[in-house]
Amino acid sequence: MEKEKLFGLIDLNWRFELTKFKLVRWIFKSRWFPLLALIFNLSVFIIILLAGFIGGYSAGNYNFGVMIVWILWWVLLMLILVPFFSRMWCMVCPFPLFSDWFQRGKLFEINTGKHRGLNLKWPKHLKNMWVMNIGFLVTTFFSGFFTVRPYATFVLLGSIILLAFIIGLIFEKRTFCLYVCQVSGFQGLYSQFAASEIRHKDEEICKKHALKTCFLGNEKGYGCPWLLTPFNFKKNTYCGMCLECFKTCPHDNMGFFLRVPGKDLLIDEKRGMDEAWKAFIMLGIAMVFFLSMQGPWGILKDMVRATTLKGYLTFIAIHSAFSLLVMPGIFFVFSYLSKLASANKEVPLKKVFINFAYTLIPIGLGVWIAFSLGIILPNGSYILHIISDPFAWGWNLFGTANFPWTPVFTGLLGYLQGATLIIFYLFSIAYGFRLSKQTYPDLNQAKRGWIPMLCFLTLITLTFLWLYLG
Amino acid sequence: MKKQEFIAIIIFLFATIGVVVGVFAIEKYRLSKFYTVELIARAPEHGNWYPAKIKVPSGKEATILIRNIETVTHGFAIPDLNVSAGEIKAGEVKVVRFTPQKKGIFPFMCTVWCSDYHMEMRGELIVE
Repeated sequence: MEKEKLFGLIDLNWRFELTKFKLVRWIFKSRWFPLLALIFNLSVFIIILLAGFIGGYSAGNYNFGVMIVWILWWVLLMLILVPFFSRMWCMVCPFPLFSDWFQRGKLFEINTGKHRGLNLKWPKHLKNMWVMNIGFLVTTFFSGFFTVRPYATFVLLGSIILLAFIIGLIFEKRTFCLYVCQVSGFQGLYSQFAASEIRHKDEEICKKHALKTCFLGNEKGYGCPWLLTPFNFKKNTYCGMCLECFKTCPHDNMGFFLRVPGKDLLIDEKRGMDEAWKAFIMLGIAMVFFLSMQGPWGILKDMVRATTLKGYLTFIAIHSAFSLLVMPGIFFVFSYLSKLASANKEVPLKKVFINFAYTLIPIGLGVWIAFSLGIILPNGSYILHIISDPFAWGWNLFGTANFPWTPVFTGLLGYLQGATLIIFYLFSIAYGFRLSKQTYPDLNQAKRGWIPMLCFLTLITLTFLWLYLG
Repeated sequence: MKKQEFIAIIIFLFATIGVVVGVFAIEKYRLSKFYTVELIARAPEHGNWYPAKIKVPSGKEATILIRNIETVTHGFAIPDLNVSAGEIKAGEVKVVRFTPQKKGIFPFMCTVWCSDYHMEMRGELIVE
């Protein structure tokens, strides 16, 4: 890690350990955490599933399932959880609970023996983000239904829970979370920008600890369910924050740290096309979502909501082509220009393409945060209604069932979205030049090679600014 | 099985089966305690009023819970008894209370143009 300061202000290596506070460490080491939070979350999802099933084909705006999942959860995820707390959602996600229980045979206690199920290893050539990339893209094909039809949300969530269980029967540990879950991929990508991390505290302690209980497990907890090696964590990408390593480490050497956002972007480890494409897909989806959900073009809404089969198939074709081919294609051209501008003939174009793709992570997250603001500010008031009447049965649990639809700060929405985009654009630039220096060995080459990528980032940001503010 | 494992399983069961059973138990109690009948509003091509015939006793207050489970606005009125719920927006729930004094069969209907078959969105209130 370079000893540099981000924006000339904050040391990139700065970190502050939150688990040095006794209460936090006690919570993290307790077997009841995150189990209790997870079970509570499961009960919320039971209500979501129930509301989705009961709600059927009714309007989504008065449905607990639709509102909690697509307004509250999605916005919490993009606005708070991922940017600040990395993959904290995975910590409390109830989807793999059933397969965990089946494999271990125990809900709370530790099973130090053989786990149940086939415990197969995931195919080597699929140990990447590609399944998640395609899975998430395909899921967005149905976005026009999820947000307006409760039953569609029920089917989606029910399918994910079922799939998590089936994969848990066949494959080892959290294979589903690591390589399949649609929600996992983008969290992994953007958690590289998160302002927190789980890492060892002292590298030397881990080196001297021969047994590696964080990986193998012991009587205090399971070996990393995410099949990682916590003793040498370098990136947030695949850490599901299950906290087992806190419980299994006999030296209390794991810590939860606040850090400079985006630090992982500079870690040159396991960078690949899968993560690069994830960045393109997320940007492409954000653009399509904005156009179809928040834009003024009714014809696009009709296409996404399958008013006609031809329109719907056109949407799928354009959406897929844009995210999988057009975005990466344009980026490839700029990568090629970068290599040309650098005049470096040694660095492979593939490395240029992959390394610079990580500059899209901050701006991509910014785009999604801006999009989330466009969801929560106009529609957030519906949540007050549905928490009082979750099944649209006429309940009034908290006295807010008749709270009218009240958009909040929508007059400021464009400014907030614009400011968000510019802030995250600046982060992309700050990390982009450092990535350029990692890519090209010579400083002058790095400077020249950076210019086309700066143009691309500026172009992307201007496009989204035009969309959000125009 | 150790005590903590047992407690965890109890909490799990409460959070899953307990929630489902609790929700339906509360709703069943609420409907029987506070409402005479629950009426579902759907356009004729999607099933029409359900139930299409409702019975209420004469001289006693009737409380009808009307749920619009569709994506279009409906309305509810019993013109002969001067009862109206006004507009019931998509997903909305409304309650009408009235005390029918005369026995007979009275039509109720949707009062908002909701579909091409709107005029067929009718049912019968039987006052016994």
